[in-house]
Amino acid sequence: MDKINVLIIEDTFDDSDALTKVLLINDYNVVGVATTFNEALTSFYNNDVDIVIIDVFLDGKTDGITFAETINAVPNKSVPFLFLTSSSDREIFKRAKLTQPFGFLLKPFNELEILYALEMAIEKFNNQTNVFLSEEQNTVITGEYLFVKKGKTLKKVRIDDIVYIEVEERYCNIITEKEKFVILISLTKILKILDSTKFCRTHRNHIINFEKIIEIVPTDNLIILAGNHRVTLSDKYKNVIKKIRVLK
Amino acid sequence: MVFLHITCSFLTEKQPNESYFNIEIKKKIEAFASETDFNKASLYFMEKNWDSTLVYSTKQLSNVTSNNKALVDYCYYYRGISFKQKKLLKEAKNELNKISSNFLFYQKVRLSLGEILLAQNEFKKAIDYFEKIEKLPDDYDFGFKRSVVLHNLGISYLHLEQFDKAEKYLLKSSELQLFDKDTIVLIGSYSGIANLYYSQYKDDLAIPYFKKVYQLSKKIDDFEIKRKAALNMAVVEENRKNYLLALAYRKEFETWKDSLNDQNKVWAIAQFEKKHAINQKQKEITLLELENKHKAEERNWLFYSCISLLLLLGIGAYSYNQKIKSNRIILAQKTELNKLNATKDKLFSVVSHDLRSSVNALKNSNVKLSESLKTKDIEKLNTLLKENSTIANSTYNLLDNLLHWALLQTRQPYFNKELLHLFFIAEQVAYNYKALMVDKNLCFENKISKSDRVYADQESLKIILRNLFDNAIKFSNQDGLITLYGLNKNESYYNLIIEDTGLGMDEVTRQELLKETIWLSKKKNEDGIGTGLGLQLCKSMIKKNGGRFMIESEKHVGTKIIVSLQKHQKNG
Repeated sequence: MDKINVLIIEDTFDDSDALTKVLLINDYNVVGVATTFNEALTSFYNNDVDIVIIDVFLDGKTDGITFAETINAVPNKSVPFLFLTSSSDREIFKRAKLTQPFGFLLKPFNELEILYALEMAIEKFNNQTNVFLSEEQNTVITGEYLFVKKGKTLKKVRIDDIVYIEVEERYCNIITEKEKFVILISLTKILKILDSTKFCRTHRNHIINFEKIIEIVPTDNLIILAGNHRVTLSDKYKNVIKKIRVLK
Repeated sequence: MVFLHITCSFLTEKQPNESYFNIEIKKKIEAFASETDFNKASLYFMEKNWDSTLVYSTKQLSNVTSNNKALVDYCYYYRGISFKQKKLLKEAKNELNKISSNFLFYQKVRLSLGEILLAQNEFKKAIDYFEKIEKLPDDYDFGFKRSVVLHNLGISYLHLEQFDKAEKYLLKSSELQLFDKDTIVLIGSYSGIANLYYSQYKDDLAIPYFKKVYQLSKKIDDFEIKRKAALNMAVVEENRKNYLLALAYRKEFETWKDSLNDQNKVWAIAQFEKKHAINQKQKEITLLELENKHKAEERNWLFYSCISLLLLLGIGAYSYNQKIKSNRIILAQKTELNKLNATKDKLFSVVSHDLRSSVNALKNSNVKLSESLKTKDIEKLNTLLKENSTIANSTYNLLDNLLHWALLQTRQPYFNKELLHLFFIAEQVAYNYKALMVDKNLCFENKISKSDRVYADQESLKIILRNLFDNAIKFSNQDGLITLYGLNKNESYYNLIIEDTGLGMDEVTRQELLKETIWLSKKKNEDGIGTGLGLQLCKSMIKKNGGRFMIESEKHVGTKIIVSLQKHQKNG
């Protein structure tokens, strides 16, 4: 599980300081604090950024909005971002709104508001709303990551790292080569969102990552995965093997 | 041979007692009151207005559907008589022939037909008609006198030179006429008889009749008859070679002729005068007409000017009314504005007063702080700092409310309604009050279900909650309880309830709070900042979110603030 990388674009030190502190306390990773538009761009392209917090005004200009417009224009680097502002001015909001931000954070803000806004931004960005605040689910699945809510904070897991998923009622055990943890999501939902070319079901309770298969033992109905994890292959899902052969 | 003219037979028509016929017509008029044309024809007939009678009887006859046989006969009769009186004998005959034989006055019809034939010199045919009537029994009442028939018969025979018959009838009629004292017809009969004898050269018989005629003619006023009588006498005397007498009669005849001429002259003069008078009248009439025209024009002019004046007046009144109305509106707006301005001024003073005292408190506190820093009294430093932060907090809240209020009044702030997680929003807002609640040792419970969502604008919802928390804390006693929960029963509304166990309020205050644009001045409790601005802002925001605001409170028990919020986007 990795920390979420946050880029802060804020020219007021007090604000960025307070923000950074809150984020660090809550186990987020602040990849940088940019104070100008150019700095922000550099920081954005040089780091692996999961989410950006942008102050609308940089040095009295609406450079924050310009930045949002810029990153919106880049197709493959699009990430969720949220605006930070002390003004509820209608005109500014209108312009900011055109960039389709994933949230607004009005100064002054408290810890809960920041965390809430971040979660909302990730949900909205991935079109999977009502996840982190519900009691049935705590994971947003994107093409690359699983965003999992752990306590008050968010964590991410690279989907490619997952070896297999074991379903247990409302929970799913996510097993990576290094660790094992539980997320709250239903099987049907996870199957719907996961890339079916990478993952497949081998058993009522198991979803495996094709990439992690080391050996298939059809006689024992067994699949041996990376990290020496063993998973049963039930009869019902046997034709999955054919798919793999074709692939290989 | 001078042949005396037979007394006009039509004259006889006037003589019979017509009342019986008239009564009968009146009865018919009453019986057929709805037949207006018939009634009119009858009335004109009785008035001897022949032309009108003809017009209306034609109308009545053309109105075939409503016709009744009796009425048809009457109409033909009217027409026949009218034509006869107008000397249109052929037409009269035609009309009278159309009358059916069961007509009540059929004998009258016969008589008239006979008279027409007589006038047309068709004596034999006339005699047929008259004899038919004559043969009827004596007591038969046919609405006219028998003597007339006899007279006519006599005349007819006379013309046919059947003297014996003529003599018989004429004598008979003269007897009857004598009996009836019907002088004019009697003269006719006598002159008929006289002529009869005279033409048979029975001068001795004729002369007494001529004399009788002459004597009778003296009694009446008709110059024509007098003249004829005199002429006859003159002729008779001349024939008797009694020239002296003849001369006298001639002279008398001349006199009557003259008087007749005179009469005619007088008549002509009268006629001329009448004409003149008529012309005069006509002139007067034209003058009057002109005058009337002039008057009408004048009247029209007056009428139009009156109308236009009225219109003008109406427009004037209307615009005046409008003006008064707009003035009233302006006045109302002015008072409203004055009131608003006054409240604004009041708010201004209260806010500045509050701000001044808070800042002053901070100032004093800072002096104390630096003193404590000098004496290194860490404990005191801490409490002072806490106090300062409380003051700063409440001042900040006041300023924040003021800002939002101003934004709400002038520019529209950013407003975007969406589905919100009420629980988390409440938590976020409550987070800022944690310290304050700890200070008062208040217990806060958020019992809102995590799945409850409301449709509102996030920032305004936060402002609402902030103010409600602020109030709840402010009016709570030490160790109080503040509970936040929701009632999710209604289909479209979600009731958010903030309940405290604080001071509560009386009914008057409650009503005051629910009113709009009333500022509560200084709070009675504590020395906390309070302008009522917060609650006003709350109400405005709730209204803007399409919600409702309610207060339930009991003094010294606690207050329950209920905020109704929409659950879904309203369609349309």
